[in-house]
Amino acid sequence: MGTGIWRMAWRNIGRSPRRTGIVLTAVAVGLAGVLLAMAVNYGMVYQMIETAIATELGHLQIHGAGFDQEPGIEICIEDGERLATRALSGIPGLEAWAPRVRSQGLLYSPRANVGVQVVGIDPAREARVSVLADSIVSGSYLDGQRRKLLLGEKLASRLHVEVGDKLVLSVQDVHGEMTGEAFRVGGLFRTASGDLDRGSVFLRIDEGEQLFGLGDAISELVVIADQRSHVDDLKREIEARLSGDLEVRTWKELRPLLVYFVDLFDQMGWYVYGAVFVAMAFGIANVLLMSVYERIREIGILMAIGMGPRRLVVGIVIESLLLTLLGVVIGLAVGTLSVWLLRDGIDLSRWAEGLTAYGIGTKIVPVIRSKDLIIPTLVAVATAVFASLWPALRAVRIRPADAVRHI
Amino acid sequence: MSMLEARGVSKVYETRGVETIALRGVDLSIEGGEFTALAGPSGSGKTTLLNLFGGLDAPTEGVVVLDGDDLGSLTSSQLAEERLHKLGFVFQAYNLIPVFSARENVEFVMELQGVPPSERRRRAMAILEEVGLGDLADKRPLEMSGGQQQRVAVARAIVSQPRVVLADEPTANLDSKTAGTLLDLMEELNREHGVTFVFSTHDPMVIEKARRTVRLRDGAVVADERKAGSA
Repeated sequence: MGTGIWRMAWRNIGRSPRRTGIVLTAVAVGLAGVLLAMAVNYGMVYQMIETAIATELGHLQIHGAGFDQEPGIEICIEDGERLATRALSGIPGLEAWAPRVRSQGLLYSPRANVGVQVVGIDPAREARVSVLADSIVSGSYLDGQRRKLLLGEKLASRLHVEVGDKLVLSVQDVHGEMTGEAFRVGGLFRTASGDLDRGSVFLRIDEGEQLFGLGDAISELVVIADQRSHVDDLKREIEARLSGDLEVRTWKELRPLLVYFVDLFDQMGWYVYGAVFVAMAFGIANVLLMSVYERIREIGILMAIGMGPRRLVVGIVIESLLLTLLGVVIGLAVGTLSVWLLRDGIDLSRWAEGLTAYGIGTKIVPVIRSKDLIIPTLVAVATAVFASLWPALRAVRIRPADAVRHI
Repeated sequence: MSMLEARGVSKVYETRGVETIALRGVDLSIEGGEFTALAGPSGSGKTTLLNLFGGLDAPTEGVVVLDGDDLGSLTSSQLAEERLHKLGFVFQAYNLIPVFSARENVEFVMELQGVPPSERRRRAMAILEEVGLGDLADKRPLEMSGGQQQRVAVARAIVSQPRVVLADEPTANLDSKTAGTLLDLMEELNREHGVTFVFSTHDPMVIEKARRTVRLRDGAVVADERKAGSA
């Protein structure tokens, strides 16, 4: 199609500044609103995923076979640390790994007792795979301290204990025997994960191995990739290096609910896009229809000089496309700017208690994904074409003889 | 073979159940190179006949033939092609696309014809010079007088090298001096380019200039006069 049709469409947009302004505002505000809403929503999901990865899951976990179906202290990786040192060194894309011992236990304070997840960690390695070391709010991390426990603030509150207080940790060891040890509270932590803060207790891995009677065995290896997008490749590489009786699971496989949340938000996004663009389509169609009715004589002249029906339709569709794309560009710019202005996060501390149950912190940082820019642009183009077809078909149905007489 | 031919052409308009007969069995043949006026009072059917010749409307009965093509047998796209390549139009007023400059208005027809950009520009400027508007090539219609706009319309009508230019009361909105200049221009183009001109008009000045005058009354041809010396 020639440049003249594009030039005519572009200049026609400028003929009614008020009407064009209204459509541009509607498209831009609608789109910026959707973009911001999607960015905040995804920011929350993103934070849920990041929290789960940073507090507990890592990007990958390696377990003994069957741990997925029935996690238990007896399903362990023999001589785990030596195995990890041998198998996980020099893998491209692997940032860090850490061993853990993990099982259930009962924690007694003088005033209460609570069932907990007991996790033995290598303090130095753990600091590279999780946020635990950075989440200490009182006391200190486990470095160099023996017979110390790290508790979530909320758990400490349930047990009515503070840093330095004495606790007894009772567990069932690998042979099924009940056993227990006395510890002191070494530090309290606070993370964005309510579950972790309420129900987990950390101790040194060697003390954990001893408590559970594991010897050199461990429950799991946690692996962090240099980028989240490299996780699947990393999994394949690790699987190739390990023997078949170990299971390598990605964070998605370990916590399918997170994937479900991402899908759910994506689906919600489609409904929001749908609603906004249906409204937008009516607005654009209305404006173009008015524009066509105002230009009936001009359309007649175009027909008289030999512009055929196909070119007339294309001209009106181009006009709609340019109008919509202009609105899309403004909308995406405003939306992106809004997200940038909120880059320090939206403070949701008033609802923090409810949000930590989902692994969401007190500040939501909106996150724009590339598809949040691409999809609305494509949907807008489709909307522009769809919305302009009705006015365009009305235009070509006008009889040329009537059109040229029209004033 | 005639350039334009109406054979037994009738046109009946129906508005809210009321029938108005605009043309009654008109037979008329116009040869190539003619400079013909369709004259008659308002409501005589001259504009209707011009619209039928231009394929802008279809007859209720009869056949309209342009350069050998029966317009009634063509689709709307084929009619558009016929207008693009064989016809030029000049209307009473508001002929031009307001968002285009004079040059762009003239160029646009050639763009639709697929003429390359450099040739379009050259031919548009040449024709605007010829109609005396070379200086106003970049002006938009609203920045030009009625006479200037009509001259651009004439330039646009002939730049596509059509067989026939159909002009519907081209001088109706112009003062007599401007109308005279426009007529001289069209006559000159008719003579030099051999383009057939057919006017609908009730302007005595146009009738005076025409070499053939077809008079219509109540939708029928009542007289067909040729000046001495015309073909």
